[in-house]
Order: sequence, then C-alpha cells, then structure tokens
Amino acid sequence: MAKVELERVWKIYEGKVEAVKDATFTIEDKEFVVLLGPSGCGKTTTLRMIAGLEEITRGTLKIDGKVMNDVEPKDRDIAMVFQNYALYPHMTVYDNMAFGLKLRKFPKDEIDRRVKEAAKILGIEELLDRKPRQLSGGQRQRVAVGRAIVRDPKVFLFDEPLSNLDAKLRVQMRSELKKLHHRLEATIVYVTHDQIEAMTMANKIIVMKSGVIQQIGTPHEIYNKPANTFVAGFIGSPAMNFVDSKIIQDNGLWIKSSGLKLKIPKQFEEQLEEYVDKNVIFGIRPENIYDKMFAMAPVEGENTAAVMVDVVEPLGSETILHLVAGDDRLVAVVDPKTEAKEEQKIDIVFDMNVMHIFDKETGKAIL
Amino acid sequence: MRKKNLVIGISVVAPSIIAIAIFVYGFITWTLRVSFSNWNSFSALLRGEYKFVGLRNYIRLFQDTRFQTDLWNTLFFTLFFLFGTIALGIIMAILVDKGLKGSRLFQNLFLFPMAISFVVTGTVWSWIFAPGNLPNNPQGLNLLFQKLGLDNLMWGWYTSTDSLGHFNLALIPVIIAAVWQLSGYTMAMYLAGLRGIPNDIIEAAKVDGASEWKIFWRVKMPLLTPITLSALIILGHISLKIFDLVFAMTGSGPNFVTDVPAIYMFELTFRSNRYAMGSAIAIIMLLFVAIVIVPYLFSSMRGEKR
Amino acid sequence: MKKIFTYFFLILISLYILVPLYVLLATTFKPLQEIGISDMWKLPKDWSLSGFIKAFQKLGPNLKNSFYLTIPATIISAFIGSINGYVFSKVKFKYANLIFAIILFGMFIPYQSILFPLIRFLQSIKLYGTISGLILVHVVYGIPITTLIFRNYYSEVPNELVEASYMDGAGFFKTYTKVLFPISIPAFVVVIIWQFTNIWNEFLFAVTVTSSPDKQPVTVALVNLAGSQVVEWNVQMAGALLTALPTLVVYVLLGKYFIRGLLAGSVKG
Repeated sequence: MAKVELERVWKIYEGKVEAVKDATFTIEDKEFVVLLGPSGCGKTTTLRMIAGLEEITRGTLKIDGKVMNDVEPKDRDIAMVFQNYALYPHMTVYDNMAFGLKLRKFPKDEIDRRVKEAAKILGIEELLDRKPRQLSGGQRQRVAVGRAIVRDPKVFLFDEPLSNLDAKLRVQMRSELKKLHHRLEATIVYVTHDQIEAMTMANKIIVMKSGVIQQIGTPHEIYNKPANTFVAGFIGSPAMNFVDSKIIQDNGLWIKSSGLKLKIPKQFEEQLEEYVDKNVIFGIRPENIYDKMFAMAPVEGENTAAVMVDVVEPLGSETILHLVAGDDRLVAVVDPKTEAKEEQKIDIVFDMNVMHIFDKETGKAIL
Repeated sequence: MRKKNLVIGISVVAPSIIAIAIFVYGFITWTLRVSFSNWNSFSALLRGEYKFVGLRNYIRLFQDTRFQTDLWNTLFFTLFFLFGTIALGIIMAILVDKGLKGSRLFQNLFLFPMAISFVVTGTVWSWIFAPGNLPNNPQGLNLLFQKLGLDNLMWGWYTSTDSLGHFNLALIPVIIAAVWQLSGYTMAMYLAGLRGIPNDIIEAAKVDGASEWKIFWRVKMPLLTPITLSALIILGHISLKIFDLVFAMTGSGPNFVTDVPAIYMFELTFRSNRYAMGSAIAIIMLLFVAIVIVPYLFSSMRGEKR
Repeated sequence: MKKIFTYFFLILISLYILVPLYVLLATTFKPLQEIGISDMWKLPKDWSLSGFIKAFQKLGPNLKNSFYLTIPATIISAFIGSINGYVFSKVKFKYANLIFAIILFGMFIPYQSILFPLIRFLQSIKLYGTISGLILVHVVYGIPITTLIFRNYYSEVPNELVEASYMDGAGFFKTYTKVLFPISIPAFVVVIIWQFTNIWNEFLFAVTVTSSPDKQPVTVALVNLAGSQVVEWNVQMAGALLTALPTLVVYVLLGKYFIRGLLAGSVKG
C-alpha cells in the first residue's frame, strides 16, 4: 500500500518566487499519475518535494497517511529516475543498481538476487559489468529504472525520463514502462511535458501551469472535458481551435464569429442559455472538422462553413489544413484524399456534438 | 537541499571559513592596528604597550624618498610588465594557435617558466644581466655585445642609476625577467579563449570575406576582451605585490633603483624591527591589490549567477 | 611563406625563453676552471658534475625540508579543498556566493599584510621556525585556490548524481566518499600539481617563518647561496637547477593538468 497525499502544498523560493501554489491531490495505491505541464509550471518541483529533495514551504505531504515533510529522502522509501539518468559514472551497471541496497545493508545474496531479477525484467543482463559510459542512451535509461526497481520502494518517481531519448526509442520505452507498471503493481508519479506520454501511460493526469494545478482527471476526461482553455490547448496535437465568438438566439442557439455561423446542438442549449448575446470562446479540435466530401452528416447552413485554404500539409495518413474564415483561423485534420488546394475555397463540416465553450474572461470551460 | 545536509555542509566548511576569517581578515585588522602604532623598535614591541599614533607612520612613509621611489618603480614596473606580458602572450597565442607542426612543443616551452620559482628566475637572470666591470671586463649580456662588436649597447643594467623622468632604467632587466616568467601564462589564457570561440563565428566571418588579420582584430579580439581583463587583473595584482623575483635578482639596487614596496616592507619589519612602518606599507599594498581585485571578484561571482 | 614567418617568430621567442635555460645548464656543468666570466656563453669543454655535487651538498638538507613541507601541505590542502568544493557547489545555502568570494579574496592579498601577525601567532603557538608551522601556513592560505578548483570541478557534476545518491540512502559523507570522491581524480591531480608547484616555489613565508638554516626550504637556501660572494657561479647555477628540478619534472610529466590549475587561478577558468 502506498498512497501519496498533498494537502495545500506551497513551494516559495527565497521568500518570493512561488513555484508551486496550493497543490492538493491524492495519488492512490498502484496508480500511474502523470504531472503534466510546460517547463516552469512547477511539476518537477512538486515531484522533488515528494522525493524530499526540496523543502516544502507550506502544506503537508503524507505517504501512507504519515506526514513526510521532515523525513530525509532516504527514509521515505521512494526511488527516483532522473531525466539525465544520474548513473554513477565510476560504478558498473551492477554496482549502480546495488548501491542503494548496499547502503541499506542488505545481505549479499539478496542484493544479487534482486539486481539479477531487475536486470532480467529490463533485458540488461549482459550489461551488468559495463560502466555507464559504455552504454547507449536507451540502455542507460533501463539501468536508471533498474536502480529504482531493485529497491522495491513504495513509490517510484520519474522526472522526464524519456526526454533524452530519440523519438523511436521513446515510443518503445513508453510501452515498456506501461508494462512494467502492471508487472510491479507500483505507485508511480511521472513528470513530463509530453502530452502523448501522459495520455498513453497515465491512469490519472494532473495538469499544471505557473505553479497552479489546472485539472486532475483521467486521460479521457482531460482530453474530452478540459477544464479551461489552457488544458484544452495543451492536450492534443495539433492544438484545439479557439474562435472568439458570440452566442446568439435565432430560432435556437448559434455560435457566431467573424467567419462562422454554427448551430448549437439541442442538448447544450439549456447550459448556454445565460450566455446568450455574450462573448465566449468556441473550441473545436482539428480532428472534429471534416472536409465536406468525406463528412458523415453535413446539415447545410447549420454545421458547415465555406473557408479559404491557406496551407495544405499532407502527412500521409492524414492531411492538415490551415484555413481562414473571415478573421478566424482554423486548423483541420482531414482525410488524406482531400482535394483541398491552397488559395482555394473548400466546404468544411463541424462535429458540433464535441464542441467546447469557454468563458471569455476566465478561460474556464462552460461546456 | 534538506536542512540536515545544510547543517552538516555548513559545519564542514566552518573551519575553513573561520581559518580564513582569522588568518586573512583578523590578521589584516591586526596589521592595520600595528600600522597605527608606535611599534617601531624591538623594545617597543617587547613592552607591548600600544600607543595609537594615527596616520603618523603613513605620513612618514609618503615623505620618505625611498618609499616615493618604490611607488614610482611599482608604477613603471606594472605598466611595462603588463604591456610586455600581454603583448608577448597574445603573439605567442596567435603563433601557437596556427596549429603548425611542433606548435605543442613551442606551447610547452613558452609555459615552462611558470613552473619555476621566481627565486630561480631571479638568480639566473641576475647572472645574465650582471654588467661586469665596464668597459674592459664585461660580463653576461655585455660580454655578448662586446663579442658581437656592439660595444655601445653595453651598460650597467640593473646597477645603472640612470633614469628617464621617474623611470629608473635599472628596472628594465627586472621587467624582462618578469615578462619571461609570465608571458607563457598569458598565452595559456588567450589560447583557452581562442579555442573557446565557436568555429562557426570564424567561418561566418570568412564567408563574409574578412581577411585573417581582420578576423583576428575585428572578431576574435573583441570576443577575448574578458580574457584581456582577467589577464590585466591577475598580472596587475602580481606586479603590485612583486617580491621574490626582485629580491633574488637585484635587491634594492644602488639608490633603490630597483626597490619595491614589498622589499622595503621586508627590510623594515625583519631587518630594522620597525614593525609599524612595515605594516603601513603592507596595508598600502593591500589597498592597491584590493582596488584591482575586489570589483573583479564580485563581477565574476555575479556573472556566475546568471 | 606565411609558415616561414610563423616559425621565424616562434623560434625568436623560443630563444628568449631558452637563454636562461642555456646559461643555467651550461654553467651548471662547467668545471671550476671554466667558470671565468669570459667563458660564460660557451658550452663546457669538459662536462663536469662538480658544481652540481657541491650544490647538492649545500642544498641537500634544504631540498629535504622542502619535500617535508610540500608533500604534507599539498595533500592536506587538496582534501580540504575537495570537501569545501563539495559544499560550495552542491549544498545551496544563503550567501554561499558571498562567503565564497570573501574566502577567494584571501588568495589575492599580498601576504605582507598578514605577515607580522602571522609570525607573532606562530610564535605564540610554538610553531614559529618549524616545518609544521610552514605547513599550517600553506594549508590555510591554500584554502581559497583549492576550494575554487574543486568547486568549479564539482559544478560540472550534475546535481542529480548527488541527489540520486541521497535517494539511494547515502548521507552527506557517504555521498562524498562513495560518489564524488571516486570521480574527483582529475581535480585532485590539478590541485596537487598546483599546490606542489606553488608551495615548493614559495619564498616569502619560507624566508620569514623559518629562521635557522637547517629548517629553511630550498628557495631560501638558494637565495642565500647566490647572495654569498664566495660561491662559484657553477655552484649557484647548479643550485638554481636543483631548486627548479622537482617542479620542472612535474611540469614535463603532467603539464596538461598544470595548465588547468593555472587557468583556474583566473577565477573564471
């Protein structure tokens, strides 16, 4: 059992720089939690506070119900995998993995058993006698993970562990880490700025910005029900389209912007009634905009628009269109068979059932 | 880092901090106190009564013609030494940096004087510059000049009492020896700087059509300004406190032509027991050095933070 | 053509650098009858070790003093610098930079400004005139430069390495002995060479802290030897060569590290 709880945790450097503001969340046993956000958002600081590498300025950190604020890192029963791996350069792979156990005075045969078992899990048995400098990036990564595994800690902390790997290796390590999580049944806190890593591995994502937690939820919730424009824009690639709009009443509710007029589906009307004639931000993901030629249910004049094609980016499996409608700019991910040409008009269809509406002032999600 | 490590860390460096506090700052304060006292004889020291005499020792010093000579000597020595060392250091660096065959050998040769004691340097150069009995029994370089038929180049070197204004010509051999010792060091600084200049900047300049000469003066030198500044400060502070070299090479010389404050301080304190006067010189030397070093230290520390 | 110019100037400068070395070696190996001043620039006709032997007889005990002084002082100050460097680079505390700058200033001061109190202090703790006293002096005044070199070295070591060690269960000292110290060899080499050279070559402390000739380091003995008019030039030069030899050997063998130490002295490195 390992449950990590943060209650109103603050980190303030030198009395003025607020790196983490009032963070409250719970990480349940065996959960894979990802702290996600752009650089400087406080996610690493949060992780380091859990590790005990940073002092907690205010608030409480509990692991398994016990307050850990003043417990030394080594006594927290936590292991951490660092971004640059931080392998001891003068030790062999074996000694790197055994170091923590030796310091904890484990018997020799137990150390040996654990190191070999971890090496087997990670497929680095042949590397045990090598020094870190003789390893490739991916191998170092595995050793760093192995060093954490042998300790069999309550909680694993990962600080952007994949960011130094090339794209191909990253994809591979992603699925391996996921498998490892199932196998070890461990509690994992994982920091990254990469939304794909977060979406693919996490049970729960905590999105942070400027030291403040923006949203906590499952990948599904974060993607489909973003709490505000920041989360909506941060998750998903290409990013969600935001269009400054007004909600108007004209035989039902409509989204009206400089270049678009779209009918709001019935099921949302009740929620949006109080915003009639008010400025809002209309959000729609690029993958929910279709080339009319390939669309399922175009309803002329209700969920369609005629727009100008600015740039066409064919990616093979899909094509990205940069579109202009009045003063509005849109990005759409469409079927690769599209006949859209730059500088030409094209009809597009919006899937209004997955639209988002955000408050213009606060950026908070209304819908 | 965590509090416990903070406590351990600070207690680990505490002895060093305390040692420096006592051996540097405590002792400087002590010297300062002595410089304001009447401890100008052994018996005064033995009696141990401290009598505050204000700036009397300093005033006496500045009225003292020997000390005035010392200040002029320091000024001219520093100027020519800095100029010579930096100029030669840059030239060495340029030549070595061309990377011709054997460059490494030359580089090591130019640097080797740095491994040698000033005392050794002084001893050897004093033998080279010893004038001998002119004009008939010349020695050292004079002998070489005579053999080459350059008799009119023979002169008294560090024994000469000639001067140009306040510049005692006897300092020339000392400057030559000092430049000999430290130009290699300056070269090493410039080489490190030159090798730190990213190649693409040089290539960009080449593509822009700059000649090698232009690249050096317009691209490299401006980038090396911090090195020049460091060199000026490091060499400058060495020159302001120069002692061993002069002591071993020439001593004070006739009419104190090669005297420097450090030698005068040494003689006052350890030969004539005039501790207060010696301390006053030491404090003046410290002030000179501090003026050069303190801003440099603080700017380096601040530069690091960024 | 350009190459020829470059070599011309390189050789010209080399002559300037080599002249003292030539005089030193040529004079050292001349027998007594050849050392008249008119033969100064000539190579010895009969190579002789007599000057060298005589110099060794005179300076031998002082060479020994210098070794007794330099070796312990070098080792002790390297260790102090190393642990200080660890703290100043890896333990962040308030005013660390200011305190470091204040310590660093100690390496630039003219030692004249602390000399008189230093000697009174050594007299009071009965270390005046002893090799141990000199060791103490060199260790203390070596703190700034050794701390600086190690601090710069450890700054290049990623903080995560130290943090990983803390997470693995090592405390402050275990992290030093098991993680930092084993990877500090290059810095130790630099510091040891630097301190060895400096302490060996040092003169001011040597001449003021020791008084009796049998306790003097070799630099002081050399100046005394050269200052006495009765000593033949070949012996003087042999003495100079003997004094320079240990540091020269170090330079020839480990020049690369010597230069690194040299550049560390200019703070920014």
